Amino acid sequence: MAAALIQAVDDRQPHLLRLPVQQGSASALEEVRYALGSRHIRAGSVVLEAGRWPLRLPELRQLQELLAPLRLDLIRVAGDHPETLVAAAALGLEIDPGPPQTIAAPAPAVVASDLLVHRGTLRSGDHLQAEGSVLLLGDVNPGARISAAGNVLVWGRLRGIAHAGVAGDRNARIVALQLRPLQLRIADMVARGPEGLPPPGLAEQALLVDGEIRIDPAAPDFSG
Amino acid sequence: MDAVTSAPARIILICSGKGGVGKTTLTANLGIALARLGERTVVLDADFGLRNLDLLLGLENRIVYTAQEVLAETCRLEQALVKHKQEPNLALLPAGNPRMLEWLTPEDMQRIVAMVAERADYVLIDCPAGIEDGFKNAAAAAREAIVITTPEVSAVRDADRVIGLLNTRGVAPVQLVLNRVRPRMMASQEMLGVDDVTDILALPLVGLVVEDEQVIVSTNRGEPLTLNGNGSPAAKAYQNIARRLRGEDIPLEDPSKARKGLRARLMNKIRKTTGLF
Repeated sequence: MAAALIQAVDDRQPHLLRLPVQQGSASALEEVRYALGSRHIRAGSVVLEAGRWPLRLPELRQLQELLAPLRLDLIRVAGDHPETLVAAAALGLEIDPGPPQTIAAPAPAVVASDLLVHRGTLRSGDHLQAEGSVLLLGDVNPGARISAAGNVLVWGRLRGIAHAGVAGDRNARIVALQLRPLQLRIADMVARGPEGLPPPGLAEQALLVDGEIRIDPAAPDFSG
Repeated sequence: MDAVTSAPARIILICSGKGGVGKTTLTANLGIALARLGERTVVLDADFGLRNLDLLLGLENRIVYTAQEVLAETCRLEQALVKHKQEPNLALLPAGNPRMLEWLTPEDMQRIVAMVAERADYVLIDCPAGIEDGFKNAAAAAREAIVITTPEVSAVRDADRVIGLLNTRGVAPVQLVLNRVRPRMMASQEMLGVDDVTDILALPLVGLVVEDEQVIVSTNRGEPLTLNGNGSPAAKAYQNIARRLRGEDIPLEDPSKARKGLRARLMNKIRKTTGLF
């Protein structure tokens, strides 16, 4: 994966320059040069997400020089490597050490091994079952069922029946962009879905708390 | 009519899952409407256990042979096709005799539809209710489908199931007709709204048919509404569906909203002309 430049949607936000996970022999600068390519980028400020790259003073300077002709101004550096942060601070840039513990690295490995991803809407009568966790990109219509030994994640509206922790995992949860199921089941507990529409734009999750199924806004750090 | 065949026939299944939502009425009216637009149309009654497409078209007394005899080669296809009196572009093919429930298989259906398709622009298959063998037979030969439903939870639920089955069979495109719409009840939210239905079914809407007493009258008389073109709202809706199927761009209006608009416009007019309020 190469470096990525994520352009700002308006003038007030900085562009985001994200370095890839370090591998091979390419230097950070080569990655950035590749990402910039011959694209036309609106002049403005840039935030560098360096990840685990160790960037020293000269490298950051070179990066600034590379951005200067494009009228892009490096203002902040985020990263995990102390060397990078020290160098950035020495150049008078803002620094952002990022979250103390990396969430991205260990999580995908675990999730990828037993996550079933299904694209499409489950219609009445359909039943999607998963041995691990399941991620549905679509709706679960009334009359349809989705069940998993692990978590049930619905990137869409959940209006049918959802069962997480089929094999008895009481820590399993059900997450949906719109959680309005006919019935919810976690392990051996059953609950009817809530009535009325949820507040818009808020994902919700159901989990077992003290032996009862409770629905809360989904935690933003949730990762499978 | 020219014997030159151009595009392959469109073979459209008309189904709903639930019974009594208007499959047969839609098939009959759509058949007439398409025929009137100059399309050679064959309507096939796949609901041969309880067939009544012939009743709606007023052709009951003219059926001599059925698809069954054609497949058994005891008659030619032309003999089994019942031409409509007033609308020669339309022909009915009854699938079989109500007493012979066993004979039809999906392969039979594919064979007969392929024969019919050679001499038609449109083949409309009137599907029986349910999702068992009758549905499987009828769906076997269809390329595309129209799912018809009413704004009721049970009809929508069954339609959803049918759409799922059609998707797994690779029938596409599947379009939606919403039947027996009561604009006033929709506006007052006593009935499922158009959005509620399309929200669940997630299909392109090809027609909205308002509840219309004329449908009952025409059904009993054996003359589809689109035949005499008496301008009733339902007749208009069926004609529009036919034209949309042919690719014409006719905007769909949500009647529960259109009605409000009309009333508002009338009130405005009264206000202007009288200067009363």
